[in-house]
Amino acid sequence: MMTTQIETAPILIKNLTKDYESIRAVSDVSLEVEAGTLVCLLGPSGCGKTTTLRMIAGFEEPTAGQIYIGNEEITDIPPYARPTALVFQSYALFPHMTVYDNIAYGLRARRLPRKDIAAQVAEFIKLMELEGHEKKSPSQLSGGQQQRVALARALVIRPKVLLFDEPLSNLDALLRVRMRGEIRRIQQRLGITSMYVTHDQEEAFSIGDRVALMNKGKLVQMGSPRELYWEPADRFVAEFVGLSNIVPGEVLQSNAEGATVRVLGGTTHCSRPHRSNSGMVSVVLRPEALSIGKPGGEGIPARVVTLAFTGPVARYTVAIDDGTVLTVDIANPRPDQFFEEGSSVTLFLPKEIPSLLE
Amino acid sequence: MPKNLLSSLGELTAQQKQRLILFCVLIVELAVVIYIGMKLIQVKAVVDRVEVAGNLETTHYRNELVGDPPLLILIILSVIVPLASRRIRREPILLIAVQAVVVGLTVFVLWPLAQVFIEAFKTGYNAKGFSFVQFKRLLEKPSVWKAFSNTMVLGITTSFLATVLGTLIAYTLTMTSLPGKKWLRILTILPLVSPPFAVSFAFLMLFGRRGLITWDLLHITGWNIYGPQGIILAQLISDTPLVILILSSVFTSINRSLEEAAEDLGGTPFHVLRTVTFPLVTPAILTAALLTFISSISDFGNPMLIGGGFQMLATQAYIQMIEMYDLQLGAALAMLLVIPAFIAFLIQHWITNRKSYVTVTSGAQTGYIRKQPTWIKGFLYSLTGFMAFLTILLYGSIFVGAAVNAWGFDHTLTTRNVRGLITALPQIKNSLIVSIGSGIVGGIIGIVIAWLVSRKKFPGKGAIDFSATVMYAIPGTVVGIGYIIAFNAAPYFWTGTFFIIIIAYAFRRLPVGLRTSVAAQKQIDPTLEEASLDLGASRIRTFGKITFPLLNRAFFAGVIYIFIRSMTDLSSAVFLNAGNTQLYTVRMFRVMITGTPSEGAAFAGFLIIIILIALGILSKLTGKSFVDMFRVS
Repeated sequence: MMTTQIETAPILIKNLTKDYESIRAVSDVSLEVEAGTLVCLLGPSGCGKTTTLRMIAGFEEPTAGQIYIGNEEITDIPPYARPTALVFQSYALFPHMTVYDNIAYGLRARRLPRKDIAAQVAEFIKLMELEGHEKKSPSQLSGGQQQRVALARALVIRPKVLLFDEPLSNLDALLRVRMRGEIRRIQQRLGITSMYVTHDQEEAFSIGDRVALMNKGKLVQMGSPRELYWEPADRFVAEFVGLSNIVPGEVLQSNAEGATVRVLGGTTHCSRPHRSNSGMVSVVLRPEALSIGKPGGEGIPARVVTLAFTGPVARYTVAIDDGTVLTVDIANPRPDQFFEEGSSVTLFLPKEIPSLLE
Repeated sequence: MPKNLLSSLGELTAQQKQRLILFCVLIVELAVVIYIGMKLIQVKAVVDRVEVAGNLETTHYRNELVGDPPLLILIILSVIVPLASRRIRREPILLIAVQAVVVGLTVFVLWPLAQVFIEAFKTGYNAKGFSFVQFKRLLEKPSVWKAFSNTMVLGITTSFLATVLGTLIAYTLTMTSLPGKKWLRILTILPLVSPPFAVSFAFLMLFGRRGLITWDLLHITGWNIYGPQGIILAQLISDTPLVILILSSVFTSINRSLEEAAEDLGGTPFHVLRTVTFPLVTPAILTAALLTFISSISDFGNPMLIGGGFQMLATQAYIQMIEMYDLQLGAALAMLLVIPAFIAFLIQHWITNRKSYVTVTSGAQTGYIRKQPTWIKGFLYSLTGFMAFLTILLYGSIFVGAAVNAWGFDHTLTTRNVRGLITALPQIKNSLIVSIGSGIVGGIIGIVIAWLVSRKKFPGKGAIDFSATVMYAIPGTVVGIGYIIAFNAAPYFWTGTFFIIIIAYAFRRLPVGLRTSVAAQKQIDPTLEEASLDLGASRIRTFGKITFPLLNRAFFAGVIYIFIRSMTDLSSAVFLNAGNTQLYTVRMFRVMITGTPSEGAAFAGFLIIIILIALGILSKLTGKSFVDMFRVS
């Protein structure tokens, strides 16, 4: 049993802003990564997530704001003096050095005694299951192995904070799923504070304790994957995190127990109270929360526009009388219960919805 | 107490330590600037007047400022400006590197060039104020306008001919199945390694008034090689190789499938050539034409040797400055020379910065072999063959001439001419010191600037890039004049010192060293350096362990290129060297004018051998073929 220990510390970012000439890449971002947790920075490309990460690593200078690791401010410290280690998207393994020399690089920079270096490199080679590859050059390794070397090289310097910049984007789909499980396992075993940048929502949800969603340089919402999914702060979050139908609704009445909402001609209930007693809102209807059945009965009349069968899910788009088009996912569909394109159906709204948008 | 101090240092946060380091660096820099300031500006007591009262003589002194206050102000600005960037401020090494580069470029590139302009608008030596009097004087001299129009006409003619010739030869060498292409390639670019004026000297040996071919073989009497025709011929031989190199690499890198697509869509071979192939290589042809134009109008050695009194700007400027001691008129002439060269440079810069369709690589040696009609093949083959034959003839005559008693008269073998080189030992030593020194200095500056401009984002980067490349457009004569004006007098007295010659060559040849380094840097993934920094290696360690090992080949290529160019330079050397620092090319030039052809040939042959050795070393170091070595230039 490995007993590798790493002294870790929380990351605290206060009002971080970064301007490139006229473009504001990161705008007034404040967030905290609690000690030992992994936070995913999620967002579309160009949203400022990588810039934020690179400011923590020290490769970009903030225009304003502060960065702390533990109690210490590191905003103006050069990258080599920061207690951070970054796993690069391209791995950035030194092509003119062996696997061993790559992993030992940070320890040599710290002028550790040769014996200590050998022992520590061996420890992480074992942790990353790289035994037997020490003498190889990085180009002789597979993508997954290169990823492990990059991780070992970052961990061996025992950083207080581990940073990942889309580390899996160079791997194929299957290996990506396996490696993200491995990264999560090692992160949890070492209990090291980590920040992980990705544009892949599934990846972010599967490994992050919390997810920080960014858009146009701003931090839009930060919370657990469940919070982001069921209680999106705004329309952008609802659309970026999973597929959603966003339709207008009207709050009929609201009290401490929740709100009754009129939507698409039917009504549904939201268990969380709504601020205004009545008024127009946007309602997020997740495709999997909707269902369809044979025409007639207590639902909304609709017509099937398209049907796509993926195996576990039958995905319909249906149109209702006022022209609104909605996506409906029927999970675990039965072979005899398909509705062909053009047929009339009844659309059923969920009885409960988790939250409402302004 | 020291113990307490140390322990309190340990308690500082990393942020505070950082500020402490920056503070210390700034203190040291302040001291250095004050020291330089004291050297640059000195107050001297000079005799004001002498009063005589009876037999008592009273001498009155007054204090006078001696030195160069504007340069001191520029240096101070160069040190302060980089401090504006937070990124630079944060890292002492980066700060020092940027400051050093900015100060170096300001003092040794911009300042001497600015001096040429300032001097040209003065009325006379030590005069104050601004006037166009020098240009009026220029206008009054018909010889000056003759020199200007001569230079332009000659530059355009050479550029046009060299571009056509070079393009055809490059096409032949890359796209036809001519046998012996490998050797022909070496032969046709061989003139790059010798000083240009060695070519005109060899021309004189063969085709001069008493030339081997014109006099001894053909007994022609009315023939005259001296004059513009001689200059053009000599420049064609020395400038065409550059065109061949540029066009060869473009021809080999044309994506064959583009032409195939055009043929597939129904284009006839000529139509494809006109609509696909030619547009792809046009930017390279224009670049080659502009570079040969700059090279031709800057040429100093060939017009001096073979011009036969044909007036050119570069030679006129030399005569005004060195023989007439008229600094201001020389500077005005230099300006006339700089302006067209600079315009050509800007156009070339603009062309290469536009979107390029062809990536220039040095990998492939031959392109796709195209089918040609026999008459075209015959024409291309004989053209290439003739060029190679002429090169063999010219260089052959240098080596044969060096080995015989008296070229053209007595062709018995002798070692006398080679032994005569012993008298040139001091100049050989001087040239080696200067060339090795400028190679190393220029190589280091090149790699640092390349690292700054290709890796770092900071304000003023464009200005640094421009200042570092502008020398490419400045004729050697102008560089020489600028350095004399800027550093000849108090408080420097640098003219004729090894120091100033080394610095002049290092900065003059910087553009090419820089280009090789930048190209090499672009091959390296920037995250490698970031990974190193991230793992805790300092800037210096990162440079030593990651950056330099990955681009040391480019570094050595830059060093040897600058070495070769410094060994063969004449145009700056004639201004900057002095008795005890006389350079080999200057001595060689004098021997060529005053000595026998065989003595001159021995000097030229020896220089060519030194350069071939340098190229051989470079070839070994970089593991590339000998032909590839020419590409660095």
